[in-house]
Amino acid sequence: MADTPLAKSRTRPVYRNIGFGELSNYRLPIPGIASIVHRVTGIALFVALLFLLAMLQMSLKSEAGFEVFRTIIWGNILGKIVLSGLLFAVIYHMVAGFRHMIQDANKWLDLPTARSTAFAVFGISVVLTALVVWRLC
Amino acid sequence: MATSSKFISEWWLQRVSAVVVASYVLLVLALLLVNGTPNAAQWQALFGNVGFKLATLLALIATAYHGLVGAMHVWPDYVKSRAVLAVLNAYSWIAAAAIVLWAVYILFGMK
Repeated sequence: MADTPLAKSRTRPVYRNIGFGELSNYRLPIPGIASIVHRVTGIALFVALLFLLAMLQMSLKSEAGFEVFRTIIWGNILGKIVLSGLLFAVIYHMVAGFRHMIQDANKWLDLPTARSTAFAVFGISVVLTALVVWRLC
Repeated sequence: MATSSKFISEWWLQRVSAVVVASYVLLVLALLLVNGTPNAAQWQALFGNVGFKLATLLALIATAYHGLVGAMHVWPDYVKSRAVLAVLNAYSWIAAAAIVLWAVYILFGMK
């Protein structure tokens, strides 16, 4: 027993519940990020839809209402950033949703494909959002 | 038995509503990409078209259902307090109902 390499065994990693201080040592893999962003955009859209309906009502009520939206809300840099963010949320949630439904059919589930398609979802969403925003400017 | 079949139909309706909403979103994105920024007259003419009104209403009903099911599944993964969960679930039901009723008013009841 005296020969037991105690020093060596003490350097072995210890696994415990992780605390907030250690969270930065753990990074979600890209398919995990794609999944949580799908959830966050879904909840954000469910809440934001009521505000979007208010804007739709105003834009349809009169020509003046439409102009208020066009010049004051969409014409404002802050409004443009928030609405472009919501547009990204719509597009991202849809594209990521297509990927999830393909995965429901037991396809694209191996790790390399899950990773590359998660990257692709982000890429396609960013490009499509930029294209629509550019078309509306 | 009743519970499991409820979950299966909910699972399917979640996907069916997703496809309905996605079809509408793709239609609107295509219109914006092709035509660019609409003016007031073009925008209001689009929403004056009965076919587009019905498509919008269908998409918003599907969105309300899809959002309600999604929210009710997502909240309990992050919120453990029963009281807070009850508030979030109540909010989700009210928001879903408000989306449908408001959509009917905007599309068919206004003016």
